[in-house]
Formats: sequence, structure tokens, C-alpha cells
Amino acid sequence: MASLGDVLKARRRRGQRSLLVYLMAGSVPDERYLEVVETLAASGVHGLEMGFPFSDPMAEGPVIQNAATLALSRGMRWGPFLGLLRECSRKLPTAVMTYMNPIEQRGVARAMEEIASAGGTGLILPDLPVEAALPYRKAGRAAGVDTILLASPASPPQRLRRLVRSTSGFLYLVSRYGTTGISGGTLPSARYQTAPLGPLLREAHEFRPRLPVLVGFGVQSPEDVQRHLTEGADGVVVGSAVQKRISEGASPEEIGAFVQSLLPPGSPPV
Amino acid sequence: MPEWYGPYGGSFVPETLVPALKELDAAWRAAHRDRAFRSELQQLAREWGGRPTPLYFAENLSRELGGARIYLKREDLVHGGAHKFNNALGQGLLTRRLGKKRLIAETGAGQHGVATAMVGAKLGLSTEVYMGSVDMERQRPNVLRMRLLGATVRPVEQGSRTLKEAINEALRDWIANVTTTHYLLGSAVGPHPYPSMVCEFQSVIGREILRESRKLWGHPPDLVLACVGGGSNAIGTFHPLLSTHAKLVGVEAGGTGNEGDRGAASIGAGRPGILHGMRSYLLQDEEGQILPTESVAPGLDYAGVGPEHAYLKDSGRVEYTSVTDDEALRMFHRLARTEGILPALEPCHALAEAVRRAPTMRPDEIIVVTLSGRGDKDVEEVVRRGLPG
Repeated sequence: MASLGDVLKARRRRGQRSLLVYLMAGSVPDERYLEVVETLAASGVHGLEMGFPFSDPMAEGPVIQNAATLALSRGMRWGPFLGLLRECSRKLPTAVMTYMNPIEQRGVARAMEEIASAGGTGLILPDLPVEAALPYRKAGRAAGVDTILLASPASPPQRLRRLVRSTSGFLYLVSRYGTTGISGGTLPSARYQTAPLGPLLREAHEFRPRLPVLVGFGVQSPEDVQRHLTEGADGVVVGSAVQKRISEGASPEEIGAFVQSLLPPGSPPV
Repeated sequence: MPEWYGPYGGSFVPETLVPALKELDAAWRAAHRDRAFRSELQQLAREWGGRPTPLYFAENLSRELGGARIYLKREDLVHGGAHKFNNALGQGLLTRRLGKKRLIAETGAGQHGVATAMVGAKLGLSTEVYMGSVDMERQRPNVLRMRLLGATVRPVEQGSRTLKEAINEALRDWIANVTTTHYLLGSAVGPHPYPSMVCEFQSVIGREILRESRKLWGHPPDLVLACVGGGSNAIGTFHPLLSTHAKLVGVEAGGTGNEGDRGAASIGAGRPGILHGMRSYLLQDEEGQILPTESVAPGLDYAGVGPEHAYLKDSGRVEYTSVTDDEALRMFHRLARTEGILPALEPCHALAEAVRRAPTMRPDEIIVVTLSGRGDKDVEEVVRRGLPG
């Protein structure tokens, strides 16, 4: 299986847009997780972000928080996670998404090697700032794992350029001021301030033309996908909207139909 | 204003918060140099807050123990009933300087929530406080005080429903509202610049101790103790005394004291890791998942500790130890009956350690304990656990 970053770069070169899906490992039994990943691959999804649960996920909304809590209570650990990663990465190009502390405790170099030997080709850590990314980038390069950095509407131009320069594989652009997740709820953290992404996407593409930029956080409908593609994104990441359906027991057919409704127009499968 | 304390500290946060933390750092540096800011802070601390607080000789307790003389730094007498006022006022004035109109805060024991609610009312800032639902139950009087002061209290139902989860939820709110809102973090924890900024606002405690001791004895105290959860009253007490010869002891919550119970002793039973934007000692399992904590004192019930404490532990300048729930509860009753003071359960941990050490010291030696807050908030909980014999 090609690396996620290479697949996205090739698609950008060909002018094709991409759809990635995020799913928390351990939130459902492994057989069901694999069944869903097979469905995603068959439905034309271009890559998988495989979540490893962390006890205190500060960038997540309620859906992913609950999925992480459930995964930990069901006993998801690093060893079994790598086993599941090995299976999934045969079906879709896969990046791992978690928080810094589990990786730090494993040892950055060791974790990168383990991810690589299980077929993972990227690592995304929402709490890793570019200032602290160097050891990750070095270890990742040695192992063949992209360190994928996140940018935000809050990133000023100078900083955006630094992120664009320092990320590898692709740049993950956060869509808005807010945590992951679908809108709704009563907490003020659920009332999100949106921001126009067009200028950020143009800036990133001008500065590093071959780098794909994908938009994530809160993407849940064909309209959201269309908006971000019109703004100039190379693709989108859908997390909570799929996770919620899976946690509620949706069938593979329903999941397949939902992700197909989000597929960018004219995007042939990998 | 250091960002790093040896290998500890730093700033590990989602990208959306990075510009806000840089803005806060710059505003804080400018305010700190600004005489008008400092003088407004001092005037409000004096006239509205009741500073300076007394250094009180606990004569009855000292006599009973028959060793060193024990003095209490009376932060329980600050407006609102705890040292949390010092930091809340400082950051409140900074919020006005930043031009932001909304405050959010986390609270464990409720004292920081009350202090933030007071400052929000005084400075005309809308205030929302995140509090674990377990803490809301056991610190009910403070929930009512916050509401009476005009703040909204938002219950947090995740995880162990205590301080750690309240911080998570406040951070999530801040990520969503960072352009209009200041996160008034209540302890010397979190990403830079919070640990150094909170330390500076709380250092008024140690500076007053130093000034008063020079006047009373001509030298600093021999032994100084403070309780450590996140560690803001302790760092405020210790920081100005680091360059003196005073022995400094931080006291963590030991929980039940049963075999295998870590309580909330992040330094005593934890190891370095990354949580809430900082690298510091954490209670965590071997894979880096943060462990639940358990303490009778909600203000100490936290799996992390401020990064400067982590550094001071490694350097050996400060000694860290722990006291169990039962020892702290016994101390609550003892201080009430010997000195006529109801102490908060948090500083009861530091007091209990002082009581252990006083008899081994000479009568001409001086112990100072920071009495970080008053115990009114704990009355229901203490009574529920039974009155002494």
C-alpha cells in the first residue's frame, strides 16, 4: 500500500480531491472496525486516520471523547492497536492520530518504527506545536512516517508558512475555532465561530505548490465538503459524523452510503 | 518569565491556542513592566482584597507540640477566603488590558471559581466556571457563592468528574472562543505563560512572609510548608524564599494511604509526561494514559503538578512529601479546637506535616505554614465524615 502522503500528493497533481475518514480504534470490536474499514475502502474513501485513544483529548468534541473513553474501558492498548493497524493499512493508506503523551511514553523513535512496521505512514498529534516537532520529524523521516502538522484559522501568515514548510505528507487545516465534532449541544464550546479558509489555502498552495491541504473538524455533510473544495482544499477529513453513526450501530451499507454522499465529485477510488 | 524549568514546562497545545498564548505572554510582560498596572493591582489587593495578610503565631498548637514555633500565613483571610484571589485579580486586570469581555475558569474546590466570579463582577466581565459534578456535590457552598456573584457554573460529567476534566472542558471552550475570551487558569500549571505568570501573582505570599520574618526575627523562617495540588500557593510561598536558607517542604495529597493508593501525589508517585499543555510529573500508567486521582481535598485532587515544582523536586531545593486524607481530617479538627480557625482541607495537609516535624525541632526555630484557604466550604463534607470522639 502506498503512503497516505504520496497518495494525496499524486491526487493533487492530477487535480483530484480526496476524502479521509477518522475512526477511533477500540471504540467497537476489532472485527467490526475492520468491516467498516473494508466498507470505506470499497466506497471509494482515499485514506484512514486511525485514532489511538488518550484519556484527556483536549481538541475533541463529545463524539470522539466518548469513543476514546469507551475504547480505553474496552481495553485498547498500544500492542493490540498496532495489530489492528497492520490489518487496516492493507486496506487503506493509514495515518495514526493520537496525543503527544502516549507517543512520548513509548519513546518517539520507537513509536515511529512500530507504526511504520505495522504499515502506518503518518502521525497526527493535535497537541504537537511546530516548535516541538523536530524530534518527531527526524524520527519520522528515519522510519518513513510523515509528521502531519495542523494549521488553524488562528495561524497568522508567518506561522502558516512555517507550518507549511515543516509538515510532511499533507497539511491538516482545522476548519474553525473549535474542537472536533458535529454542531449542536448546549455548551458554549459547541457554538463555533467559522472562518473563511480561502485565503489560508491560497497562501499555503502558493508557498508549497505540491503540498496537499486537507480540511477537517466539523465536516458532516455534502454541503460542508463542497464549501471546503470551493475554498480550494485538496480534500476533507470526516471524523465525528462517521464515528457517531458507527457508535450508534449503523450497518456497513448505511456507512457506505453516507461516505459516498461525501465523496468529492469525479474522484475514482485509490 | 521563563518558559522552561529545566526539561519541564513548555507549551503543547492545539494550533488554535498558540497565537492567543503568544498574545497573552506579550501582554503579561508589558503589564508586568507597567507601573500603572502594578499599582492598580496593589491598590485593589489592599483595599478590596485585604492584603497584606497576617503572619499569625499559633501559640496553643505550638505549646501542645512542644517544639518549634508554628506561624500561619493567613491566606484564608484574603477576600473570598483563599489565596486564589491573588492570581484571579492579576489575570482579571490583564483581561481588561487584552480587551476581552469574557472569562472562563476551571475550579476544583471552588475557591478559584469564587475568586474568578468576584473579579468578573468587579471588572464587568461575564464569567463561566467549569466544575466537575463530583466537586459540585462536595463543595456546594462555593457553587452557590459563584452563582450569587453572577457567574454561570457549568457541570463537567466526563471521567472522574473532578479538576482534570474541568481543565479539559475549559480548554475546549477556549479553543472555540479564543478571540473573545480569556482563560483564567487558577493554578501554576498549563502551557506557558501560565506557570510563570501565576507564580508571579502568587509570589506576594512569599514576599510578605520574607518581609515580616525580617521584621520579627531578623532572618527567614527555618522551615516553610505549603500544600501542593497544581501548586500555586506553594510556588507563591516558595519562589521568593528559594535564595534563602529556609528549608522548603511541599505536601501532596496521599489519599487513603492504603497500599497501592497514589492519592494525588504526582511528584511522589508520578513520572514526567505531557498533560494540559505542559511537561511535568504526572500520575499515568505505563502507556501514558492519565490515572484517576482521589483526595478528600478537591483542590489537591489533580494528576499533574506545576512544572517549576517538578524542577525544584529534581534539583533537591524543595522536599516533597504527602499526607493522607485521615491525617488531614484530624488536622482540621485540631486547628479548629486549638486555634479557633476552620482551615480548608487542602492546607490541612501542610499543617499535618508541620505538626509531625515541630516536636523534632528546637523551641527557637520557626515554622511557617501557608494556610491557603478557609474551611467553610468543607464544613458539610467534614461533618459527613464524622465528628471526633
